[in-house]
Amino acid sequence: MSANEIKPASREYFDYRGFGGKMLFTVALAVVSLGLAAAGKFFSPQQFAFSWLFALTFFLTIAMGALFWIIVHHAVDADWSVVVRRQLENIAWLFPVLALLFVPIVFVSPYLFKWMNIAPGEDPLLDDKAAYLNNTFFWARTVFYFGFFILSSWLLRRNSIRQDKDGDARYTWSSRKWVFPMLPIFALSLTFSAVDWLMGLDFHWFSTMWGVYIFAGSALSALCVLVLLLTALRSAGYFEGVLTLEHYHIIGKLMLAFVVFWAYIGFSQYMLYWYANIPEETSYFLRRNTGAWNTLNIIMVVGHFFLPFVILLFQGVKKRPLLLCAVAVWLLIMHMLDVYIIVLPACHMAGPSPSWLDLVCLLAIGATLAAIFMKRLGDTPLWPLRDPRLAKSINLKN
Amino acid sequence: MEHIAGNPNAPVFGIAAEVSSAAELYHAAEKVRDAGYRRWDVYSPFPIHGMDQAMGLRKSWLSALVFLGGVAGLTTAVILQFYPSSFEYPLIVAGKPVNFFTVPAFFPIMFELTVLISAFTATFGMIILNGLPRWHHPIFSWDRFKKVTNDGFFLAIEATDPRFDKESTRELLEGIGARHITLIHDDA
Repeated sequence: MSANEIKPASREYFDYRGFGGKMLFTVALAVVSLGLAAAGKFFSPQQFAFSWLFALTFFLTIAMGALFWIIVHHAVDADWSVVVRRQLENIAWLFPVLALLFVPIVFVSPYLFKWMNIAPGEDPLLDDKAAYLNNTFFWARTVFYFGFFILSSWLLRRNSIRQDKDGDARYTWSSRKWVFPMLPIFALSLTFSAVDWLMGLDFHWFSTMWGVYIFAGSALSALCVLVLLLTALRSAGYFEGVLTLEHYHIIGKLMLAFVVFWAYIGFSQYMLYWYANIPEETSYFLRRNTGAWNTLNIIMVVGHFFLPFVILLFQGVKKRPLLLCAVAVWLLIMHMLDVYIIVLPACHMAGPSPSWLDLVCLLAIGATLAAIFMKRLGDTPLWPLRDPRLAKSINLKN
Repeated sequence: MEHIAGNPNAPVFGIAAEVSSAAELYHAAEKVRDAGYRRWDVYSPFPIHGMDQAMGLRKSWLSALVFLGGVAGLTTAVILQFYPSSFEYPLIVAGKPVNFFTVPAFFPIMFELTVLISAFTATFGMIILNGLPRWHHPIFSWDRFKKVTNDGFFLAIEATDPRFDKESTRELLEGIGARHITLIHDDA
């Protein structure tokens, strides 16, 4: 019960000994698949454009989710998440890399965003949206989103790392002061980036719940990645006496909450369009509820909500790291499917036609991010060593 | 000196004692738990984190009850909507089918009733499992116990516990360092 005693932590820094092989493999995988993706860009630029956007969105949403959890951690002055915060900061600090990986989108954007190819006066619907959907504003927004994501994840991580050295509480105060202006800007950036990069694939269609829907998937998948990451480090012997089953229990509860939240938002969006049945609104779901896309959609509804919901209801699952990891892997696959169903039907209208480029782009972006993540992992302690609330977080009781 | 509360001619409710802080109460609870007592309780002005483990309480059955409540709510909503709309009096509204595929229209009610009945089960189940409502408790006749809503931390071992014994239980509480050990009788 005594909240002031800190148990001796065994290994605070990541140890690269014996890790070279994995590192080398990841770098090699990244190089090869980036090369293959580049080749794909020249052979089938359209397919490459959509596959790259699909893969990039999958990883971008995870990073956004991680940033969201850091911001919320500071905003509500949370205790429990102190020990897991550094890993969230590491994930969110991948934003500069993601911004670089966004560059190919700039070159293939006319394949993705049809409105870029339409001259003023040709499409009355586009003319009405021209104040928002024009090249200058679009790219300015993109720069703003990345600028904000990079700056905020850098700022919060820097405060956290500086605190490792001297344990000064003013870094905690500084972060808390910053996150309040960050919160609304984060919400707007996520919402409008989702509108620009995903809803913009079909500029005729619109949904006011779009941003929240993407956010729900982001926050959930960031938790899944966090669980996998923590468990991998834990099984390698780190976090001993620091990360307990109580932390798993909390993350599991949040996963359950966000599984339900995702379904709630997704269904609310669907039901309003289904009920009102207005052609300009139903176009999105009409395409995805026809033929083989519908099969994938049903798999997603069952696999992204019903199955994990029932499984995560049990307390035992949330307290068993390996079971929770299995659920996390499954949910990440479902999130991938979700992004796939969002992006690819804009390319393959008739039905899904999986391409080798889908896999290559996923591997290219995933391996690049993983390699850079691993390279940086040892730079800082694995958890905030001198956070004023570390002891409370370690001695967490649900 | 023997402290007594309640009516000395009435049966004994148990032995109660006071400790001075939440931490002390926590450690006292661990010792009572380890001594093997089953029918006893701690009283504090605020909830103490981790007290369930310190008292050796097992997981509450409430979550199972809430699950059943949720299933009951969901079933009610399914039956109340599908039976009339698909079988008894099918009405075509806005061109929507009357078979299973009209389920999106019914989801909000299914969701709401699931939440509503779960929440009711959670609230009332919690109250009932806590032994409430209860108008009186023998320990109320102990004057010191009034501090429990302010700054008092108490524990009481009840006479219905198979290990209860006036002497050995008192010795246990004394060994823990509890003060104001008092024999509590029922009121009548």
